[in-house]
Amino acid sequence: MVYWRIIRKSYRRNLQYRLSHVVNNVASSIFGLVFIAIWTGVLSGKQVYGPYDVKTMGYYIAICQSVLWMTTFLSPGLNVQIAVRSGAVSLDMIKPVHYLWYMLSQEFGRLLYNACYRSVPIGLLLGLAVGFFFPSHLFTYFWFILSLLLGTYVGMLLFYLAGISSFWTTEIRWVHLILLSLIFGLGGQMIPIDLMPGMIGKVAPYLPFSAMIYYPVMTLLELAPPYGMLVQAGWALALTVVALLVTNMARRKLEIQGG
Amino acid sequence: MFALYRKLIAASIRSQMQYKINFVTSAATTGMIMVLDFIILSAILYRFHDVVGWNIYEVGMLYGISSASVSLYRLFAPEINDFEKYIVQGELDQLLIRPVSPLLLLLTRNLDLSRVGGLVQGVSVLVISLSGLAAEGQSIMGLVLFSPVAILSGGVIYFSIGLATAGVAFWTHQMKDMLTFTIYAPANASNYPIGLYPNWLKWLFFSAIPIAYMNYLPMLTLLGKGGEWFYPILTPVAAASAFYFARMLWNVGIRHYHSTGS
Repeated sequence: MVYWRIIRKSYRRNLQYRLSHVVNNVASSIFGLVFIAIWTGVLSGKQVYGPYDVKTMGYYIAICQSVLWMTTFLSPGLNVQIAVRSGAVSLDMIKPVHYLWYMLSQEFGRLLYNACYRSVPIGLLLGLAVGFFFPSHLFTYFWFILSLLLGTYVGMLLFYLAGISSFWTTEIRWVHLILLSLIFGLGGQMIPIDLMPGMIGKVAPYLPFSAMIYYPVMTLLELAPPYGMLVQAGWALALTVVALLVTNMARRKLEIQGG
Repeated sequence: MFALYRKLIAASIRSQMQYKINFVTSAATTGMIMVLDFIILSAILYRFHDVVGWNIYEVGMLYGISSASVSLYRLFAPEINDFEKYIVQGELDQLLIRPVSPLLLLLTRNLDLSRVGGLVQGVSVLVISLSGLAAEGQSIMGLVLFSPVAILSGGVIYFSIGLATAGVAFWTHQMKDMLTFTIYAPANASNYPIGLYPNWLKWLFFSAIPIAYMNYLPMLTLLGKGGEWFYPILTPVAAASAFYFARMLWNVGIRHYHSTGS
């Protein structure tokens, strides 16, 4: 299976950075600790609606910081824009693998590395701070893995679309930053989206951003609504179609320009 | 010395102002992204009213000072923040053979004007918070007068931390991951009351990464949260001593520097 080979290669390439990532993991955990501290300060001594007491919120943030390394901290534009700028994209496009799956496989290898050397250590470090959460059903682990993979997939497609927009624009920096803010603002990274006030709280659960952070975390905590996985799968499908269409448009543009 | 700095910086700004549209959009986007962050915090405090007794306007004071300070540092010292490339790619050698101090050269090479957006965002949050506090019937005269002192001191504190991190990079030859630990995580932490954090973090923010002196400590006094009268004086004092130590570390590092020989 050629895609599996690409994934493995990309994973190995990332192994070289293990040491510097240790420092980074400590720093990333400090981010988590700050959010946990804020929520502890906010919630202590107050009546809270729903399932969010201090302990649950601690778990929520800790799992969140781990999940981010799988679903949100991806390469900007999946590096498509770099290949476009250097012209390497034309060589990638004539490879006997589909360009979209090729790029996604590359990224997924990096994310598997992240899972081992980022998510797990950060989860352990923050677990020391808030305690370790174990779901009550064995099946939850299965649903969580599934939800996490769906979230990762949705994230990769969004970043891919940001990257491939470079066929038509000169800079994807702003597209990338706007995408990132939307994810952080509406994905549930600092606040579970059902706690958001007003209209935002009503709309956010159905956007692709919540598929990347909120639903995987809630699935592990066994608090996810039953339709959560549907929202994730729906966006995965819709974005796949969009990505395939846009890839074809990009390929045609390449042919017109003469490779 | 200062005249030279002005000349070089003016040249740098002139060259960047060739791309006015780019400056405006990048500054606006930077500011907008930072505003979003504050909106989320507002959403939390809107629902839960306060965090350990600090309401949204009081947290806003901390937040605005911290935001503006870090933007000030990122505006004036992008090359310090990006110093890793000088060591890794051997670009530092070109600076060392000139008759001016390498630090001055680094500071004049580039300004990251997109950070003006962050500065505007920080000051806006401050203005909103101040008017909110005034509406609550607090006297804000002291706060208004102190804010520029805090922002300038904070800028110097962040600059010192960045400079010290760059100084350490002379030995470690890498800095990017270190910055997450010394600048980005603390900058995020200083948006909120430092009293919230576990003790070891508190100690860290009062000593090696002295961001507590920038906003938390003086605000304890100025917002009437049980701070001593002399806390606000510590803000510029901490900034000056942080700069002194960072400068020392940097000088030791630069003497230690061996070129890659490329």
